[in-house]
Amino acid sequence: MEPLLRVEDLRLYFRTTKGIVQAVDGVSFELAPRTAMVVVGESGCGKSSLAKAILRLLPRNTHTYSGKIFLDGTDVMALNDEQFRREVRWKRISYVAQAAMNALNPVIKVGTQVAEPLFIHNNLTKSEAVNRVVEAFQLVGVPVDFVDRYPFELSGGMRQRVVIAMALITSPQLVILDEPTSALDVLTQANIMNSLKRIREELELTYILITHDISTSSELALDAMVMYAGQIVELGKAGHFFLEPLHPYSQKLMASVPTLREDKDLEFIPGQPPSLINPPTGCRFAPRCPKRFTTCEKEPPMVEYKDGRKIKCHLYV
Amino acid sequence: MGFSLVVGVFLTVITANMGGYVDKIKIAQITESISVQVYQNPAYQGYTTEELRKLIDQKVELEIKRLGLDKPFIRFDSFSGFFHSRAFMYLANALTLNLGRSEHIYSSSGSKQVWLIIQERLPYSVLLFTTASLLVFFASLYVALILSRRYGSIWDRLSVALAPLSTAPSWFYGIILILIFASILRLLPFGGLVDIPPPESKVMYALSVLKHMVLPLLGWFISGIFVGVYSWRTFFLIYSSEDYVEMARAKGVPGRPLERRYILRPTLPTIITSFALLLIAAWTGAIITESVFNWPGLGSLYMAAISQFDTPIIVGLTVIYAYLLGVTVFVLDIVYAIVDPRIKVGGGPAA
Repeated sequence: MEPLLRVEDLRLYFRTTKGIVQAVDGVSFELAPRTAMVVVGESGCGKSSLAKAILRLLPRNTHTYSGKIFLDGTDVMALNDEQFRREVRWKRISYVAQAAMNALNPVIKVGTQVAEPLFIHNNLTKSEAVNRVVEAFQLVGVPVDFVDRYPFELSGGMRQRVVIAMALITSPQLVILDEPTSALDVLTQANIMNSLKRIREELELTYILITHDISTSSELALDAMVMYAGQIVELGKAGHFFLEPLHPYSQKLMASVPTLREDKDLEFIPGQPPSLINPPTGCRFAPRCPKRFTTCEKEPPMVEYKDGRKIKCHLYV
Repeated sequence: MGFSLVVGVFLTVITANMGGYVDKIKIAQITESISVQVYQNPAYQGYTTEELRKLIDQKVELEIKRLGLDKPFIRFDSFSGFFHSRAFMYLANALTLNLGRSEHIYSSSGSKQVWLIIQERLPYSVLLFTTASLLVFFASLYVALILSRRYGSIWDRLSVALAPLSTAPSWFYGIILILIFASILRLLPFGGLVDIPPPESKVMYALSVLKHMVLPLLGWFISGIFVGVYSWRTFFLIYSSEDYVEMARAKGVPGRPLERRYILRPTLPTIITSFALLLIAAWTGAIITESVFNWPGLGSLYMAAISQFDTPIIVGLTVIYAYLLGVTVFVLDIVYAIVDPRIKVGGGPAA
């Protein structure tokens, strides 16, 4: 099947006073249509930067932004900013931001904000747009009369649902969700995850779900990507990953997930994630890896495991 | 707010009278002028020195009584004492805008009414400084918005580097500009409101005033624009990294509407506040700048009043400024509730 999204050697570096931060360093993957891929990793491993790189939301201190992104056959990187804004933004990729609490403009009514992409991209009349907003609100479970409210008049969960409604309003092909539930209580998290799952199946959407909450995301995930220090270390079917993680880092990551009512010592990974300014040569995880051996001083290749997973580790060569 | 206004005006009354010291100056002036009058009056030529001194003392006492200078300036020993002191009377008169008559300064029509003098000067200050403030405000807002779009560009860095130029006050630039354009190049007048003699036709008169406005405007503009651009640029940079701005960018909102709806609109209360305060500050003129350019506005009136201990004028100017400030703050409160849905009038339920 033709992939919906193909990313090749994507790089996003930032300039800081201490040096160049290699936040996304040579990431390549493919994403089939109508799947949901979860991207996991520690804080600062480049997950959110990957989202920003795909969305071309580059911060002011961007140093390098290179690689190839093909969206449904379109060479996205070849588009200039104005073409990208018109052709891709929200029309084909939409985004639910991390810290979505602050993702709504405080002085514009939420209904207007949700409808805004329709005026920009679809040239709808006001009444058509209102109908679409009502549909979207019903889809995500927001009371319809909330359209005339301001963001500060909504609870955190409702605001998050409004942001999701906004992401769905133009029926995009791909929705990138960056920690969509991280600031919410457990019940609301579960509710929103269930809604997201139902919506994806109903509308046949494709998700990229960025999270560090592995247990909540397992509900939704079909594919899984593990990132470490700006690179992909494991990529494959979520089922395989959750049952039997292969990369030593993935194994440690899974072992650190708490399980209810099971007497298990939570593991942690000794040491700090490496600085992305001067990442270690060779395998970036080697300094913290319990299974390292001499070959780890060399850059590990991306190896294909027998179940189709890709692992960046010398153990599986 | 009313309370702080009263306190502010009261402090001005005390300060402008130098805590009552101005009374002593006045009494000395009265004694001197009466002595001169009496000695020079031919009607008293046959009088002895003793008799003359007596006469003078009588006249001085009468004058002091007439002016109420025999009553204490201020006393705190009892409530009724305080309410009968002249400081309180001055305060009450000032607050009721009963500004009285000036000591020495006349209006150009020859009146000593403080209200008339201020009324005559106010339009000139408003004309010059409202224009100047509007220019500086909108120019710096506009340039800052452009710069905030191009963070780190050459122009942006230049604006940061030039910001300290605004530490020099406008009259400093005014003197340099006078030196260049009036002294050396002889293109523009040194100062004043209009050519002498004033042109007959209205159009020519307006043009002449405009010509006289160029240098003070330019001085004000140069000293205000750099720090204005710098501070608004920083302000916009902070607010353009809000999450909802990034979200709007991801939504594909084009540049101009994005700035209007996602940067200017949420920060409108701050912008309006700064604008309103700038405007009333401008109405009071600029004391030194007006003096340097010999501009007949409130600033040079202030200067003259202070140097001649013309207390009623100082108090009058201050009380008008205080009322303007009070009214502005009141109006701003209403405007906030209109432009920002987060601020509601009264405690009613959210809409």
